[in-house]
This record gives sequence, C-alpha cells and structure tokens, in this order.
Amino acid sequence: MLSANPPTSRRVAAVTAMTLGGLVVAVVCGLALGPTSIPTTRIIGGLLSEVGLGHSTLTPLQATIVWQLRAPRLVLGLLAGAMLSVAGGAYQGVFRNPLADPYLLGVASGAGLGATFAIVYVGHGLTTPSWTPLLAFIGATIAVVLTWAIGGRGMRSTASTLILAGVAVSALLTSTQTFFQQQSSIDSIARVYIWLLGSLATASWQSVWMVVPYVVLCIVVCVAAGSALDVMSVGEEEARSLGLPVRKVRIVVIAASSLGTAAIVSAVGLIGFVGIIVPHILRLLVGTSYRRILPLSVLFGAAFLVLADTIARTVMAPSELPLGVVTAVVGAPIFVLILSLRKQLTQ
Amino acid sequence: MNAVEIHDLTVRADSKVLVSNVTLNVEPGTWLTVIGPNGAGKTSLVETVAGLRRISKGSVSISGQPIASLNERERARLVALVPQRPSIPNGMNVKDYVALGRTAYHGLLRAPSAGDRAIVDSVLERMSLEGFANRDVATLSGGERQRMVLARALAQSTMVIVLDEPTTGLDLRHQMDLLELLKTEVADCGLTIIATLHDLTLAGQFADRLVLLDEGEVVLDGPAREVIRRDELSQCYHMNLRVIDIDGSDVIVPVRGGLEQADVLTES
Repeated sequence: MLSANPPTSRRVAAVTAMTLGGLVVAVVCGLALGPTSIPTTRIIGGLLSEVGLGHSTLTPLQATIVWQLRAPRLVLGLLAGAMLSVAGGAYQGVFRNPLADPYLLGVASGAGLGATFAIVYVGHGLTTPSWTPLLAFIGATIAVVLTWAIGGRGMRSTASTLILAGVAVSALLTSTQTFFQQQSSIDSIARVYIWLLGSLATASWQSVWMVVPYVVLCIVVCVAAGSALDVMSVGEEEARSLGLPVRKVRIVVIAASSLGTAAIVSAVGLIGFVGIIVPHILRLLVGTSYRRILPLSVLFGAAFLVLADTIARTVMAPSELPLGVVTAVVGAPIFVLILSLRKQLTQ
Repeated sequence: MNAVEIHDLTVRADSKVLVSNVTLNVEPGTWLTVIGPNGAGKTSLVETVAGLRRISKGSVSISGQPIASLNERERARLVALVPQRPSIPNGMNVKDYVALGRTAYHGLLRAPSAGDRAIVDSVLERMSLEGFANRDVATLSGGERQRMVLARALAQSTMVIVLDEPTTGLDLRHQMDLLELLKTEVADCGLTIIATLHDLTLAGQFADRLVLLDEGEVVLDGPAREVIRRDELSQCYHMNLRVIDIDGSDVIVPVRGGLEQADVLTES
C-alpha cells in the first residue's frame, strides 16, 4: 500500500475507509470502556433509542455514566483531536515547515500564562477556578495577535518572520508564566502542571458547547484551504504568480488554526504531539496534497485522540495517565512503523 | 495595442536601484530576450513584469491593464512566470503540478472544471509529458522538469509568458529542445515572450528582439542580429566577444584577452 509515488485513488479510498473504521472503534471504545463495566450492546441500544429506534435498557446509573460522563468526554476528545490535527496540518502547509504544530505561534505559552494567572491569582492556588478556560483562551488569542503584530504585518513579512516572532512571544510569555509560578505556592504549581499536561477528565456538555462553534467553523475553514495550501507548496512568490492571494490565505489559515486551537486548549489544556504526528502519518499514507491530508486529519485525529484517551483512563484505572504522554507513546511507534515500511518499499 | 508596455520603470530594493527608467513596448507575438551581465537587473525586470516586485516609479501594463492595479488572480490570467529556480514540491504528481497553472481560473473552493482538466491534458501532450502525468515531480530529470514548469505556465492560458533563465542547469540538447518547444508555442498561439538568457548565442538565435541591460538601464534595444554585433555588448560584459555567422545562424564566442573592439567574422 505504501510507495514513493503519489498515491492512487484506490490507496486514498482504502486509507479513508480504515480511518472511518478507526473512528467507529474509537467512538464505541469511548462510550463502552471505563472503570464501570457496561455491556456494549446496552450502550448501542441506548444510542439507538436516542434517535427513536427501540428503547434503552441502560439503568439510570448507567445512563448517567454514559451520557453525562463518557459522552461529553468522547465528543470533546473528537473535537480536540480533529482540531489539533487539522490545525497542525494547516500550519505545516502555510509555513511550509514539517515541524510546525498548532502551538507554533504562541498559543501554548499564551494559554499557559492565562491558566497560570487564573490558578495563582484568581483561585489563589487552592482551586482551578471556572475562569481558567476563559483566561487561557484570552491568553492564547493575545499571544497569536502579538506574534502577528510583530512578524506578520507589512509587505516584508514572510513565514520565517512569523515563526521567529512566535519563538520570541513564546519565550516572553513562558518566562512570565514561570515568574508567576515562582511567586506562588507548591499547591498552585501542582495545579498548573496538571492543567499544562492536558486532560479530558473535566469534560462536560457545557465545555463541549463552549468550544463547538469555534472548532466547527475553524475546521471547515482549514479543510477548505486545502487547495490553496497545495498551491503554496511551490513557495510564496510562485504561488502569487499562479494567482493565489498568498497574504490573505495566510491570514485566514493562521486565524482559523489559532482560534480553534485556542478554544480547544482552553477546554482541555495542552495536549502535545497530536497536531504534529497525525498530519505526518497521513502524509506518509496518502501523499502530500493538503486536499487529502486536511479532511483525513479531522477523522484520523479525532479517532486517534479518543483512543489515546481511552488508554489514558483505563490502563491505570481509577487514576489516569496524562493524555499528552499517551499520545506521544502511542503516536511515535505508529509513525516510526509507517516510516520504516515506506523506506523498505522505496528501496 | 502592445502586449506589454513598460514606461519609465524604476524598481528599488531598499536604497539600491535594480531597474532604472526602463521604457519598452513589446508587440503581440514578439520574443524579446533581456541579456546583460550578472547584476544587470534582468531578473528584477522580469519579476516586475510578472507582478512580483513593487514598482517604485513608472508603470507596467499587460494588454493595456496596469499590473499594479490588478490582484493576484487577475494578473495571473494575463502573465505567467517560469522562475529561474522553480520550487519542486515532493510527492506531487506531474499532472497536479501542471494543474496549478489553472489556480486563477477555478478559485480556491471549487475543483478544477472539465475545461481546466482538458487544458492541462492538452498542455501535457504538447510538452510530451503525457507519459509522466502520474510521476512524482521530484523523480523527473532536469529537462523533463523544465518542460513541466513551462507546461504549468502554458496552462495559465496567458498571452504573455516571462521566463527567467529557463535553460539554467540543462545540457545543450535540452536547452535547444526547450527553446524550440517554446518557439513552436509562440508560432502556434501567438504568445508574447519576455525571457532572460545568459547564453548569448541562444538569445540571438531564438529572440526577435534583444534588450541589453546594464546596471538596471537599457543600453541596447533592437533586432537580435543587430544588437549582438554592437560594440556595447563587449563593453558591458568587459570582454572581447566575436560573432560568427554559420549558415545564417549567429554564434557568439568569447575570446581570451582584454577588452577589444568586437569583431564580426563571417564563415560561409
């Protein structure tokens, strides 16, 4: 299935089918697996009854566990995986940089600073206040706006000036966050650290509804930009000569990727590795066209993060592993496996 | 109406003047080649015609439309560029690469139409690339690659094509092949070509008109056979150049030694 040549439509169809299959498995796992054992058939029956087919055999407790704990966690996981993956792919395209991830322009450091401020000064280190997502979102947005103001304005701005501005803004905000932490108690530092590692444990329908409008809109914009990013693969000057409004495309893609990422980070913290690894896995499987990578990133990323979360919350139940650790531990071997298979076939 | 009108054009980068007070009118169907030593401003001039450089003074019009007032899409429907060092993206196939030339027509949210695809197929055939349509662009040889980049420019369906050193990195045969292909397109479709070339012999043999540029200014402008025989050519290159006429084709050869007046030999 893997070769160095651009992929055939059959290969793309096969990868799409497998990704959809993975997504179904992820959804079933997300709802069925957990510390409380609930038969899958009952969950499927409950799911069908929600759309008016038959009636649910779930007990009230089981229904609460499935619909109020697992379902919002599943939906938030799907949204987070899809958004981080598509944003990573879009960043890699717009910056023509394979190492780009959704946190490139300071979203992570901005959100980190916002969350730290909330925990240290609003919650006084005793709680993680309900303001944390909002302040993280504001911090992430300010960071990207600051990066754009420094490196993205003017005719001479390029992808490189933006990346460098992102590095500078990230360094500034991270050091400010470190200062806040240093001024606070051990308790605060522990809470900040837990938040920074990222988790879906606090997911609720409220957090889902909070991010849905941003995330859905941003995913649609990023996926629609696939053709433009393919044109940009020949470089900014050539793309302009081919008729692409490079500057506008760059603004729209960066705005959508950053806004969607900021919304997700504010809800689930910093989940690393998904945004960089998922587009790369798909690039190895279906080639370099962003018209294929971005829509598949939505499906693959969603499935990947939910499966990673299922592992995170089940292998050491009742305690949970940090989600970012699981995404790296699961994603890295998959990536290496695909890379080595591809190398063998091209030799 | 002229295909290209360049009026009193000055292009600066910071304080450095790259192109200075250039005025050129190019009639439709003309092949104009810009020659000159390194740093003469050739690339800056053609990139400005392609709309990639900001005009400091003066104007450039394509088919009567000032390019400074056009957006990228409108400009790409009037003029296509073959850059000196085109970027070759890994993993893209030849057909998709050539189809990038249709970007200005199908927009960003719509897939290429049947008409776009037919144009791409036709260009691939004319450039003898139909057998390579599904090959990865990175696996092509230098000659095939340049034909592909030219095919992308032709797919833009513009009446003006600017080429910056299109024969860079090609062996002699592939240089000739590429320029012959282009000559055929000019004859068949009435294209207007503005090219830069370092090889004076090829420049003289293929162009209808040569413009000698030095330090951003036009030194000579006229029919190719006349320009290559002028003393200013040797003076601009700071070397002794001779022109040999072989069966009606001019060959320009450098002669070792200091700058002397250019000689014209005839071998019949």
